[in-house]
Amino acid sequence: MGEKTKSLEKSNNLLKIFTNGDIFTKLSFIIFGAANIAHKQIVKGLVYLGLEVAYIAYMATTGLSAMGMLGTLGTVEQGMALNPATGIFETIEGDNSMLILLFGVIACVITAAFVCLWLVTIYSGETARLLDGKGKRVPTIVDDVRELFDGSIHKLLLAIPVIGLVVFTVMPLIYMVLMAFTNYDSSHQPPGNLFTWVGMDNFKMLVASGGSLSSTFWPILGWTMIWGFVASFSCYFGGMFLAILINSKGIGLKKMWRTFFVITMAIPSFITLLVVATMLGDRGILNVLLQNWGFSTSALPFLSDKTWARCTVIIVNLWVGVPVTMLMVTGILMNIPAELYEAARIDGANPWVQFRKITFPYMWFVTTPYLISNLIGNFNNFGVIYFLTGGGPMTLDYYKGAGKTDLLVTWLYKLTKDSKDYNLAATIGILIFIISATFTLISFNLSKAATNEEGFQ
Amino acid sequence: MKNNKVVIGLDVRYLLPAVIASVAALLGLALPYASAGGRSITVWTLAGGAAGIGKPLALIGAIALIASAALAVVNFLNRSVAGVRAWVAAAAVATVCYTVLIIGSKSAIDGGDLLGTPFLVKYFGLGYWLALAISYVALIFAMKTAKINVGYIVLVILSIIWLFPILWILITAFRAESGFYVGYFIPRGFTVSNFSALFSNESVLPFGKWYVNTLIVASAGCVINTLIILGVAFVLSRTRFTGRNLFIRILMVIGMFPGFMSMLAVYNILKGVGLNQSLVALIIVGAAGAAMGYHICKGFFDTMPKAMDEAATIDGATKWQLFTKITAPLSKPIIIYTVLTNFLGAWSDYIFPSILFGDKQANYTVAVGLKWMTESRRIDTYYTQFAAGAVTVAVPIVVLFIWLQRYYVEGLSGSVKG
Repeated sequence: MGEKTKSLEKSNNLLKIFTNGDIFTKLSFIIFGAANIAHKQIVKGLVYLGLEVAYIAYMATTGLSAMGMLGTLGTVEQGMALNPATGIFETIEGDNSMLILLFGVIACVITAAFVCLWLVTIYSGETARLLDGKGKRVPTIVDDVRELFDGSIHKLLLAIPVIGLVVFTVMPLIYMVLMAFTNYDSSHQPPGNLFTWVGMDNFKMLVASGGSLSSTFWPILGWTMIWGFVASFSCYFGGMFLAILINSKGIGLKKMWRTFFVITMAIPSFITLLVVATMLGDRGILNVLLQNWGFSTSALPFLSDKTWARCTVIIVNLWVGVPVTMLMVTGILMNIPAELYEAARIDGANPWVQFRKITFPYMWFVTTPYLISNLIGNFNNFGVIYFLTGGGPMTLDYYKGAGKTDLLVTWLYKLTKDSKDYNLAATIGILIFIISATFTLISFNLSKAATNEEGFQ
Repeated sequence: MKNNKVVIGLDVRYLLPAVIASVAALLGLALPYASAGGRSITVWTLAGGAAGIGKPLALIGAIALIASAALAVVNFLNRSVAGVRAWVAAAAVATVCYTVLIIGSKSAIDGGDLLGTPFLVKYFGLGYWLALAISYVALIFAMKTAKINVGYIVLVILSIIWLFPILWILITAFRAESGFYVGYFIPRGFTVSNFSALFSNESVLPFGKWYVNTLIVASAGCVINTLIILGVAFVLSRTRFTGRNLFIRILMVIGMFPGFMSMLAVYNILKGVGLNQSLVALIIVGAAGAAMGYHICKGFFDTMPKAMDEAATIDGATKWQLFTKITAPLSKPIIIYTVLTNFLGAWSDYIFPSILFGDKQANYTVAVGLKWMTESRRIDTYYTQFAAGAVTVAVPIVVLFIWLQRYYVEGLSGSVKG
């Protein structure tokens, strides 16, 4: 009697479930849904079983071979070979390393999903057994569906997003991360050539080789950092200044002024950036006007000289970014109690002191997380660089295609799209991840927002 | 005694510096305006003998400086609100004229051949720079005296900088002369044919098709993405379940990879299922990643009192009813914000469509198409049409944006809280 009650306690330990359970529980470790079927959840059990059969069928037909070929990424190179039967040279298809890697990753992800399903079925079967054993009503499939709209609503609402993320984000990411450990570069392009595993070679080449790659990587990383900090902080303070200015007492038509700046924000940024890029070219309207006005006798190299171009992108980024910060700060300014300013004015504080002692501390406290995510966003600010300079001016000091204003992300894009050095692109992606993760961790430690998540409710 | 009379509406502390500056600015009228190669001219030479816009500018500027000085003296002797206002107006006119002269002097001086050599900005003499600098000082102090916010000066200058590129693209869109390179700002002729050419030349430049494509992707995307984001945000904010924290962490980790790092793999997967180069693929991939943007929405839901949910639950409401009957109806601002950002996002998304569509021009979105038109070998042919296209895309979005600006501000400032 004592042992029977014990076996009706819920447990999360797989081993306990196995030893305590009845024969169907034990069976359900191999045949999915066995326990469910035995305990009045026939439809559910059959669905589990069906999924298992589908997985086994998939593995038997394609999955296993796909996983098996992951080790070598293909051995047969495309080429010509003598066909002994006909006596003439024929083209051999050869292995496609890219597809092998992709299908291998798919098989692995499906297997991981299968393991999750295995756990789900065991727990589900165990729950059914316990309920049945206690003589309670076992939920039918109708109950389960109804529960999806109540207690298990997360399963309903997260199903599609999770599937989408797994298929179009997680799986591709795993694929690209693996690619960083291969030699899938411009000279190993399937289907003509094979590529294979090379371990950490790409990282070594990029970070520590002393060759053209690492002498491209470090300067670009340096510029990415400078750009990130200067772009974020200039927009932050610029936007704050503008918001305070428009908000200050005695400025009429506040809405009109705000709209002037918001227009630049409302126009899709790629348009404004393309327009500004054409304006700043050697023959662009700004150079034309500067010469017509007598500022200069020749075209100024806004985008074609290294230092000029770097300053130009930062200034144009101000033009794009200041209105965004302005709008955000405007919202926050309204939250600062007006009495604080009233009291400060009575005590004789001038506007600068009010800003330093009231506005800025409040703003800084509230916006630190925003500032850090903005910083990470700027490290990865593809649009401004790509549409304005395209990474240029180009230089022979750098690895092919990279220019003096290229950020790590735009270089990644060029390596993917133009030079097809996918392994390097993937390696850079991983390094960007490490940088972002570092800054995110710092921001998490700095901000208390993460800890009092429940505080508002 | 009379000088210390208090007038309501004036701040007399700044009166004296304002008067001194206004009078000092007159120095600029006597000193040389510009000099080069031994020849030098005053502003009066310009006002008398220059060509084009420079002549009235110099004349009005000089007269306004004198008027401002005269009004300064008048106000110093007998101050009044109306008098100071008139003085500020005169000082403002002088400042604007002198500021515009920095770009207008060349054509004026060269047109009248006043210096003998082509004019450059570095030939400006002490007379110009003094008048320019002191007129700003005088304007600032006069405005302070009149208790007008000095911020207006900064706002006017900044607005001009911010609106200049927009003005340029508007003008270019209506320019009759084609070509990228023109040596002037105001077009010789105006036309609307750039707009009609965009929509009539379907075989070479299917802009109408691109526009419809983008509209389809944006409309479908903003509906689907908003539903997904609302669902995810609701579940993460209002319910607690096993694996919730793990899910949030995983989303955070995924978000730290550069978004388009995986585009090659996505492209291959889409190719595998036969969806490459299609608009449906763009919508699906957008929806698949939508969940990543749940933060702002969750931040909004987090601020709703829990007691509301509890009360409804006691009355027998299911979680689904909480979502559809309570949370969603109370979230109008954040829903509008989410719809708006997703709609706008589709218009400016460039990276993935550019990879996805490759050379299949008919399926381009406007972002890819407009970039295609500005490539160096096409820019001379298509520049005015590109400008027209940019205007066609921007106008509806700007209208939409300004209309819904309030919600955008709420969403944006909500984002920093959560």
